[in-house]
Amino acid sequence: MKYKGRTIITSVAIATVFIGLGIRLAFLHLRPSPGTLARIESGRHLEMETRGPRGRILDRNGNMLAVDIAAKHVCVDPKFILQYGDVKAVYSALASQFPADRAELWKELNQPDSQYVRVQKFVREEALGPLRNMNLKGVIFEDVPIRDYPKGVLGAHVIGYANYEGVGSAGVEQRMNAQLQGVAGLRISQKDGRRREIYQLRTVDIEPQQGADVYLTIDQQIQHFAEKALDNLMTKYHPKAAWAIVQNVRTGEILAMASLPTFNLNRFSTAPAEWMRNRAINYTYEPGSTMKAMIVASALDCGAVRANDIFDCENGSWYYGGATLHDSHPCGRLTVADIIKKSSNIGAAKVALQMGDAKVYKCLRSFGFGDRTGLELPGEDAGILWKTDRWAKMSITRIAMGHEVLVTSMQMLSAIGAIANDGIRLRPLIIRKVVNSKGETVLAPQPEVLARPIRPETAKEMRRLMARVTQPGGTATAAALPGYLVGGKTGTAQKVDLEHGGYYHDKFMASFVGFLPVENPTISIIVVADEPQQGGYYGGTVCAPYFREIADQTVRYLRIPPEGFTTEYVTEIETGGSGEESISD
Amino acid sequence: MKKRQGERSRKAQVRIPFPVVLANILVFVAVFGLSYVWLCARCDTLGQEIKRLETVQRETRRRMINEQDRWSNLLAPANLDRALKRHNLAMHLPDEQQIVRVRNIAGTPSAALAYNK
Repeated sequence: MKYKGRTIITSVAIATVFIGLGIRLAFLHLRPSPGTLARIESGRHLEMETRGPRGRILDRNGNMLAVDIAAKHVCVDPKFILQYGDVKAVYSALASQFPADRAELWKELNQPDSQYVRVQKFVREEALGPLRNMNLKGVIFEDVPIRDYPKGVLGAHVIGYANYEGVGSAGVEQRMNAQLQGVAGLRISQKDGRRREIYQLRTVDIEPQQGADVYLTIDQQIQHFAEKALDNLMTKYHPKAAWAIVQNVRTGEILAMASLPTFNLNRFSTAPAEWMRNRAINYTYEPGSTMKAMIVASALDCGAVRANDIFDCENGSWYYGGATLHDSHPCGRLTVADIIKKSSNIGAAKVALQMGDAKVYKCLRSFGFGDRTGLELPGEDAGILWKTDRWAKMSITRIAMGHEVLVTSMQMLSAIGAIANDGIRLRPLIIRKVVNSKGETVLAPQPEVLARPIRPETAKEMRRLMARVTQPGGTATAAALPGYLVGGKTGTAQKVDLEHGGYYHDKFMASFVGFLPVENPTISIIVVADEPQQGGYYGGTVCAPYFREIADQTVRYLRIPPEGFTTEYVTEIETGGSGEESISD
Repeated sequence: MKKRQGERSRKAQVRIPFPVVLANILVFVAVFGLSYVWLCARCDTLGQEIKRLETVQRETRRRMINEQDRWSNLLAPANLDRALKRHNLAMHLPDEQQIVRVRNIAGTPSAALAYNK
């Protein structure tokens, strides 16, 4: 009887517990309170926003210049390691893999209250191999995309870089950020007790969209030619900086844009700000004699002078407007053609005076000075060309020789390009096309005419005058290229002393801008050196040889035939002897 | 007494007809239930498979992009230059004397004259 009572009590108790649990279960399933429901839902709810990979940047031939690749953050869970793992093994593995502060690492690992420490950020997959193989407990690899620039320094100033948040912060990366940025995806689902997604309960699944691919007009090979030539220039003349642009004169496409010093895009955060500056578009300088080409072209075009008109160049010293103007190489009487060839300041000044302030100003504006060229790169400078009401009496004579006016190299090349392109100034292009993730071309900039500063006949005549610059007796014989007629103009300008006023006597901007072949120009090139330190400072000495170096390789690479020829082949004359031709074209 | 016992045994011997309809319903419910469970299991398996393939696809894509990136790096002009140098492969442009230039003869665009400069 005694036991029977206990049995009943125990049974009732157990039954009560089960009934209670059953009622609770019924309530939970059938009529859960809103709070409980919300708690359960939030525990099971899974919402993931997946970032769409950033689009690639490629050169005109599809060579990859920038791409998002998979990397990892290496993280640790110190609490877990201290409880279940081997802290010494983790420490030695991490310390041997990453150049971190060892004392700091040890300290980070010995934090019993911490469950998350990021040891190393943005580690590439291939660098993780040994660490993965160790299967260390408490070491976590967090997926993260990283922007990679497989060519390193090549075209660094044009390509620019995206910061660690994936936002374009310089160059094309910045200008085309909207197109390059992918559209984030969204996945709403539920997870189980082990925090794994329950696929059947996935309610929303929007795939992330990759950003559009941006094809540049740049050709990586020509870019390499330009960078290598500038490197040689830097080695020989030690300027503070040097830069070059190669452009297709018929389309306005930029084939190369290089600026030294440069930096590795994969380590942009360690590069000094000065190295990141794209001097080709945002460094303004007084161009010096290269400006004479535009002055003479305008004068010829408006009929103010003819190529054979003779000007007295005053034996190198001429007093006008309250100041004396000098020629670096004194000349007597020169034709307009020889003013270009000999680069006479006095001659150019007198030619400009034949036109008058208003016409000179109008023509230079028409050549694009004082305005941005409209290149699709951020940070382009407009330069300075004051209106005539701010000109002094002698200003016109100084502007004619490239002083009292600030230009960028891009503007100068664009202006010379107008002469090479039958008087048509085109907008320079750096974006060739933009292709979205479906393979559709969403943007394909076409050549755009900005102005017609001179007539085609004037342009043709001007090209012939400029061709004489690279011929014997000219200022840039070093730019001459066998088989091709090269037109161009040298520039050597003293730099402005901003502290004390006036000009430095020992600091120069050397430049050479030209095009080839003269009869049917295809490419134009500008090379500029800022303050050459040794071995010379004239544009014809410092820059012309490197113009030639770039031009020589570019015409062969692009298979531009020499003047009057349709094509060229290579024979083994030296080694052959058998008379057989080895055609490499 | 005997008569009563006889009635009882007759009652016990009354045959209850087999509930065919109920059995059918039960079988149907059982089949339906089993099918449901089987389909659920199948969905679960397929879901897991899809998840696995998604992961594989993601990983493969990652690897492909990483490999493309490495390949692109190897093909960088500067790296090619270095490789040529490392293997002592001196490559230079042909001399002027080695070049044969071909020019169209005026009036006969198809004809060509080859000569050494």
